[in-house]
Amino acid sequence: MAVKILIADDHEIVRQGIRRVLEAKSDWEICGEAANGQEAVRMAQELSPDVIIMDVTMPVMSGFEAADEISRLPLSSRVLFFTMHDSGSMAGSARRSGARGYVVKSRAAEDLIQALERLLTGGTFFETNSFTH
Amino acid sequence: MRPVQILLADDHEVVRKGLRALLEAQPGWKVIAEAVDGREAVEKSRELRPDVAIVDIGMPCLNGLEATRQIVKKAPRTRVLVLTMHDTNPLIQQVVKAGARGYVLKSDVASDLVSAVEALCRDQTLFTSKVSQIILDRYVGKAEGVENSPDEDSPLTPREREVVQLLAEGKSSKEVASVLRISVKTAETHRINLMRKLDCHSVAEVVRYAVRNLIAEA
Repeated sequence: MAVKILIADDHEIVRQGIRRVLEAKSDWEICGEAANGQEAVRMAQELSPDVIIMDVTMPVMSGFEAADEISRLPLSSRVLFFTMHDSGSMAGSARRSGARGYVVKSRAAEDLIQALERLLTGGTFFETNSFTH
Repeated sequence: MRPVQILLADDHEVVRKGLRALLEAQPGWKVIAEAVDGREAVEKSRELRPDVAIVDIGMPCLNGLEATRQIVKKAPRTRVLVLTMHDTNPLIQQVVKAGARGYVLKSDVASDLVSAVEALCRDQTLFTSKVSQIILDRYVGKAEGVENSPDEDSPLTPREREVVQLLAEGKSSKEVASVLRISVKTAETHRINLMRKLDCHSVAEVVRYAVRNLIAEA
């Protein structure tokens, strides 16, 4: 069964870039794209994705709020945050809103696939500010 | 559509991938090089002379505005299109003064990029959203004939502005010297001079100046 991924980011160009990165995985399907947190929640309910790649800063409703709402719904969708900043507080904020991890935009191309694989097997991805290169 | 050779400069690989997908969907358009910072953008533009250089305004090491100024000087036939997150008037004015032919908001780039590149290739300038023709005419008229002079509003030389950005990124004088390929003594001299000109007594003050003057991002 194909893995379903929902992309939520207010920049279409970033959503397209993420699509490109994920093309390498033929059994992963991008089931939808959302441009703000509210759309993300609505589409999550409609499509029941396995993972949601959620940009943190979005208009109408932020990624944090959306993740929070999604965690209260009877869905098994796991949220992976996508953020510009890699601060110490990011991990805490992510966990508190029910997300299973986060990827920093500057390292998205390298980290996304690994992060998604982790989340899909029930794990987490909180190691972006790491020594790996 | 005629063939167009394009250079992409943005520090986020995921954005470069998205841009490449958009551009290469056009027949004959080829991304001939990518750059992750302003310095690389300038070097590759000079070497490869692309028709269009798409430059993100917020890049480390050398920001998009400075890169634009240098590309306009060193690769005069390359037309620069700047990508940015915001479109405030001061920023637009700086972009125009730096010699860019076009300016596209990142939030609109997926829908606007192709027509922007087309317009640049037809030798037209293109600015999307909020920029009125009046502002454009004023600044383009002003820029004609004074392309090589430093930014009138800044008390610093172009080299000193480069040092400001690197210092604001947390680099030591030694690292600044290495990036700019000058001696540590020269880097130190630039730092001392610019701090004196700006009346800054600490690097923190230099950072504040850099952010306020769009040399570095907050």
